[in-house]
Amino acid sequence: MSKGKILVIDDEDIVRLSCSRTLVPEGYELKMAKNGPEGLKLLEEESFDLVLTDLKMPNMDGIEVLANIKGKWPATDVVIVTGYQTVETAVKAIKLGAFDYIEKPFTPDTLIATVSNVFKIRNK
Amino acid sequence: MRVKKSFHSLTGKLILTIGTLMVVGSLLFWFFLFKHQEKELLASSVKYGYSFVDYIRNSTRYGMLTNQDLLIQQTVEAVGVAEGVQNVQIFNCTGKIAYSSDKKMVGTVIDKNAPVCLKCHDSSGPAKVTPSWKVTKGEHYRVLSIVQPIYNEFSCSTAACHVHPKNKRMLGLVQADLSLELLDKSIMQQGIAITAYVLAFSVVISATLCIILWNLVSTPLTLLSQGMRKVASGDLDHHIEIHRRDEIGELAETFNAMNAELKKAKNELMNWGNKLERKVQEKTDAIHRAQQQLVHSEKLASLGRMAAGVAHEINSPLTGIVTFGHLLLKKFPKGSEEYEDVEVIIDQANRCSNIIKGLLGFARANTAEKSPTNINDVLGSSLNIVRNKADFFNITLVTNFDPSLARIKADAPQLQQVFLNMIVNAADACEGKGTITITTKNVKEHDHDFVEIEFKDTGYGIKDEDLEKIFEPFFTTKPVGKGTGLGLAVTHGIIQEHGGKITINTKVGEGTSFIIRLPALKETS
Repeated sequence: MSKGKILVIDDEDIVRLSCSRTLVPEGYELKMAKNGPEGLKLLEEESFDLVLTDLKMPNMDGIEVLANIKGKWPATDVVIVTGYQTVETAVKAIKLGAFDYIEKPFTPDTLIATVSNVFKIRNK
Repeated sequence: MRVKKSFHSLTGKLILTIGTLMVVGSLLFWFFLFKHQEKELLASSVKYGYSFVDYIRNSTRYGMLTNQDLLIQQTVEAVGVAEGVQNVQIFNCTGKIAYSSDKKMVGTVIDKNAPVCLKCHDSSGPAKVTPSWKVTKGEHYRVLSIVQPIYNEFSCSTAACHVHPKNKRMLGLVQADLSLELLDKSIMQQGIAITAYVLAFSVVISATLCIILWNLVSTPLTLLSQGMRKVASGDLDHHIEIHRRDEIGELAETFNAMNAELKKAKNELMNWGNKLERKVQEKTDAIHRAQQQLVHSEKLASLGRMAAGVAHEINSPLTGIVTFGHLLLKKFPKGSEEYEDVEVIIDQANRCSNIIKGLLGFARANTAEKSPTNINDVLGSSLNIVRNKADFFNITLVTNFDPSLARIKADAPQLQQVFLNMIVNAADACEGKGTITITTKNVKEHDHDFVEIEFKDTGYGIKDEDLEKIFEPFFTTKPVGKGTGLGLAVTHGIIQEHGGKITINTKVGEGTSFIIRLPALKETS
């Protein structure tokens, strides 16, 4: 029994790999998508508790992905992963319904803490 | 005082002209007076001469009537020895000297062409003798010759001697030569006296004129020309000291007034020049500053754009390094060599991450969101962040916050970044122990209100050669790994973005003051 289903959307292989190597041992079920459209397609097929999405990606950026998810699957939580967080994008993301944001480079502990925080609140 | 003494000077010319006129005038006056006097004296001598000759005639009359030649001759001789009488002669009609004071001359016949005869006789015809006188040049002095005719009288023709017939008109003539010695001596003495008077008079008049002209004209004119020379050479403070009510006094007063006006005009001109120079300098400085700011802003903007791109590209691989480093860390026992090696990898990855964050500061400096902010509050929260850090345990933090500090329009998180940077730098400069004093106050400069924040440390100060580069990106004096060299560059960018400026007062070995000045918000109460 997994702790929860997480979708990771990031164009960088290493980030996706880092997430899976950190979160899978913690008991989470992870699926990966290389970009926004691919992630949204997966969301159409199955439901996820949490989406970890990169902010800056080709074709579709994280803010657009967030807007789509919050429009179609409001029950799914979204955490923005960003390489260059600025106050404006963070505020914008929170306003659009993001649960939190994580700054790259993140440590496994930070990632685990953020994710477990999401599930703690979801399970309340 | 040097006064021209040559005849080219005004005084010289005036003295020469007036002196010459005086001398010539006096000479003419005295000459004519002298001539008149001489004429008068001569006339009186002539008058005396006639009287003298009359006296001879009368003295000899009796002798003639009685035809006593010896008596007549003795009378003539007696008269002839009188003072001033040179010669007395009585001629008869034939030109023979009948009687003479000089006995030797008696009997001598005078040629009819002799001057004495030509007086009465022309080349032919009878004599028309009238009394006459003549002045001739003697051996030493002039001689006055008086000639008086002896007419045939009734008593002559009727005398017992019957010498002269009745029809004869003239019987002879008397001539007396009188010396004009006294007259000439007197005239000569008068001439000498007159010359002396004229000379003395001219000298006295010239000297008087000289003194008067010297005091009235030369001295003030010299003062004036000296003053003009001084003014021409640029000494506009010169004042001519002539206090008189005449034209020269007026000239000096006008000159002084002109000089004062000239000085005023020159000062005004100089003030304008200085003002203009200052304004040009100010404008040049402003343009220079604006240019520098523009260059700096452009530098920051391009660095920001680059940083954003680099951050995106680097942060993902860094995430991998950090994550896998941590995963690897769990596989080695704590304290083992491998564990420590992996820790180095993670530390270095974190260092890279910090550099990226610093670079991102440039991107953020250009996108400030400003709102009315109280600087004291921002400083307070910044101090709360650092206060509990180990680096600050031995550092005394002193705060002098002005409670009436004006608010400013600012991006509070950016300013917090600036203040944290300032405090951390100050602590680094103190090397863990010392005092950091933070002061805030309202200041006024060129009628504009500012808020001033001073960060003063007791650290090692900044060297002169480092001061120029201190705000350059990637310039640092901290040990490798401790500073990125971006803190002050970002700080500078943020303060400029807020319209403020940073100045540094530092002395090596004593400490440094960073003074930040930001424009105060104009609030309507």
